[in-house]
Amino acid sequence: MKFDDLLKLPQYSLPYAEKEQILLDGLNELDEHHRRNCPEYNRLVSVLWPDYRKARTLAELPYLAVGLFKSHRLCSIPKEKIFKTLTSSGTTGQAVSQIFLDVETAQRQSASLSRIMTHVLGPNRLPMILVESSALLKDRTRFSARAAGVLGMMTFGRDHFYALDEKMDLDEKGLHAFLEKVNGKPFFMFGFTFMIWQYLYQRIADRSVDLSQGILVHGGGWKKLQELAVSNDEFKRRLREKTGLSRIYNFYGLVEQVGSIYVEGDNGYLFAPNYADVIVRDPLTWEPAPMGTPGVLQVLSLLPLSYPGHSVLTEDLGIIHGIDDSAGGRYGKYFSVLGRIPKAELRGCSDVHASQVSG
Amino acid sequence: MKVQQLVPRAEEVVLEEILAGLRDISGGTLSPLAPEILEFCANFSRALFKDAEAKRFPELQALAFWMRKSELERLRQEFDRLNTKSTLPVPRGLVFHVPPANVDTIFMYSWIMSVLVGNRNILRISPRAAQQTTIICRVFNDCLEAAGEIMRRNTVMIRYGHEQEITAAISAVADVRVIWGGDASVNNIRAVRIPPHCKELAFPDRYSLSVVRTSNYLALDETKRKDVAAQFYNDTYWFDQMACSSPRLLVWCGSKEESSKASAIFLRDLHEEVQRRGYALDASGSMNKFTFLSRAILDQPVVSAQQVDNQLTVAQLENIRHLDRDHCGGGFLFQYYAEGIEVLAQCVARKDQTLTYFGFEPSEMAALAQLLNGRGIDRIVPMGKALTFNRYWDGYDLLAEMIRHVYVE
Repeated sequence: MKFDDLLKLPQYSLPYAEKEQILLDGLNELDEHHRRNCPEYNRLVSVLWPDYRKARTLAELPYLAVGLFKSHRLCSIPKEKIFKTLTSSGTTGQAVSQIFLDVETAQRQSASLSRIMTHVLGPNRLPMILVESSALLKDRTRFSARAAGVLGMMTFGRDHFYALDEKMDLDEKGLHAFLEKVNGKPFFMFGFTFMIWQYLYQRIADRSVDLSQGILVHGGGWKKLQELAVSNDEFKRRLREKTGLSRIYNFYGLVEQVGSIYVEGDNGYLFAPNYADVIVRDPLTWEPAPMGTPGVLQVLSLLPLSYPGHSVLTEDLGIIHGIDDSAGGRYGKYFSVLGRIPKAELRGCSDVHASQVSG
Repeated sequence: MKVQQLVPRAEEVVLEEILAGLRDISGGTLSPLAPEILEFCANFSRALFKDAEAKRFPELQALAFWMRKSELERLRQEFDRLNTKSTLPVPRGLVFHVPPANVDTIFMYSWIMSVLVGNRNILRISPRAAQQTTIICRVFNDCLEAAGEIMRRNTVMIRYGHEQEITAAISAVADVRVIWGGDASVNNIRAVRIPPHCKELAFPDRYSLSVVRTSNYLALDETKRKDVAAQFYNDTYWFDQMACSSPRLLVWCGSKEESSKASAIFLRDLHEEVQRRGYALDASGSMNKFTFLSRAILDQPVVSAQQVDNQLTVAQLENIRHLDRDHCGGGFLFQYYAEGIEVLAQCVARKDQTLTYFGFEPSEMAALAQLLNGRGIDRIVPMGKALTFNRYWDGYDLLAEMIRHVYVE
């Protein structure tokens, strides 16, 4: 099955065995493509997997450490074909990932994202609240992953309303006006998990706004909320109690694989879309970990043509909970993300180690 | 300025008062190798050997062993040789030690080299310091209780982060400043002024390697080979391979075929040793190593890589002429097959500190040092002794660095 045919299939409708075969064929092709066109990828595969020819299972596919996108320019297209460069939103001084997109890859990303979002939002574009500062998109020359994420999501809504002002203060008046205008009909909300908590949830009084018709999609990681001991369940419960918002979907995604995001299903777990899959690896051996055992997440995606990001070993820990047997009726693997691998300090004479995993 | 004191007592103190106390010599001063000093160190060594908590940490046992009475006696005799007919060794005064946060015993070695020759001491202990440091401070304070006034007033250890004003206040009154802990720390602290007469010893980031004569290794019986693996393990894994003197590059000297055969046996034995000792690298260490290995493959002449499992990773180099000295630690070895030791000499750089060896004679190593003529490498010791502290470190004679020579005609 070709990528275009896959796009036409309803999301999460493929039984895993069938999906696995489709992904395997597609990823084997991508692996060959990147080995031919990206010398760095080819070198890594030939040294790390010297006898590798072709994968017979998804777990056999070579994978790249996500940190390489920060230190090396990994690209499978000639320079003149680069249409857009994405960078991760690292803090000052940190190395950022650089992802090179050509037109085709960018199109695949938006087509894929669209199929995933349609599954959550339905076929019609809804009025949309962005829990973001209106200032975020003013500087279009700097294309951070955050801005790219927001721009990508904006296309799935209409009549956009930025809930935060330039100082990140909640625009309550504007919010009430927006809600009045939608007049009890469904609307779409998008934002980063921590911003929703800090700038929306914590700034509004109990039951002062009614968001019960909202569909909230949020992502960006749980690091800051973990520090506040707020779990996904707690996040959902508290938002529902305060605002009536009950359709809340977390998602997981990387700038290295824009477009293939993993959205939360009704059972609270994340699901792999048709074009993507996850493997959890045992950090001691890098062998696939048994289901239910935590390990390092590897993400597979059919989207990346212009850079070798089709199989990436992340720096996140996750657990796969099941395959094909979720209560909500979705097919495929479902999993949860436990957050970044906790940074342990190796001992040693030196206080600063340039080569340690950063970010 | 208030600071947290750990030694002589755990309490909050005023830094200015502490510094005034250290400079107050009305209670007398200690001459080099004074009996009070030797007695205190020997008592400390005994107490550390006996301490139930300290027994669980091999590096604390190594420290206790190093400070035992007979070793101190040997040092005293060595020190006597620094005397000449017309010079008299005397202490330099107040020594400010800035040890690294994460090798938990370095601060004590730094301290002992200084206190032995009669200096007074103030040490910065990092807030990130591990449990071993707490144990040392506890035992140290207990021993001070029983010691005389002059020893009790000799040493202060305080805990603080990177507050420049504390570093500046101490530096302003120091006669010697000792900075351990990597290029970044050395540069940061060096930016803080010291008095014109103050001397500074700096221990920046270093790199270490190991060399084995293949034919001698292959001639060993199985028991001896396993012993080599155990020695190499101690050198390498004790501080997660992040100690400056832990080998990161392993060079086999011999024909390619023989070296490749020897390496296969050695790595198998080493891996067994790693498992036997229960060395465990966590997920972050594993990920770090995998990323480091990948980067090394892209940036260096790596011809093959073995991830035996994540506790032992080996990257085979095609040449070592421009070896990048960056390293990830946690059981990662670069490996190279050299025809002879001259090849090794070509790659040695300023940053190289310790060369551990097996299958060579000390005279051959001396010849190598002669050939290098100061280009790099400050210690050449048999395999198994990479971490064994010695008064000769990083090219310094620490005992000699801590004294002044008064010339009398």
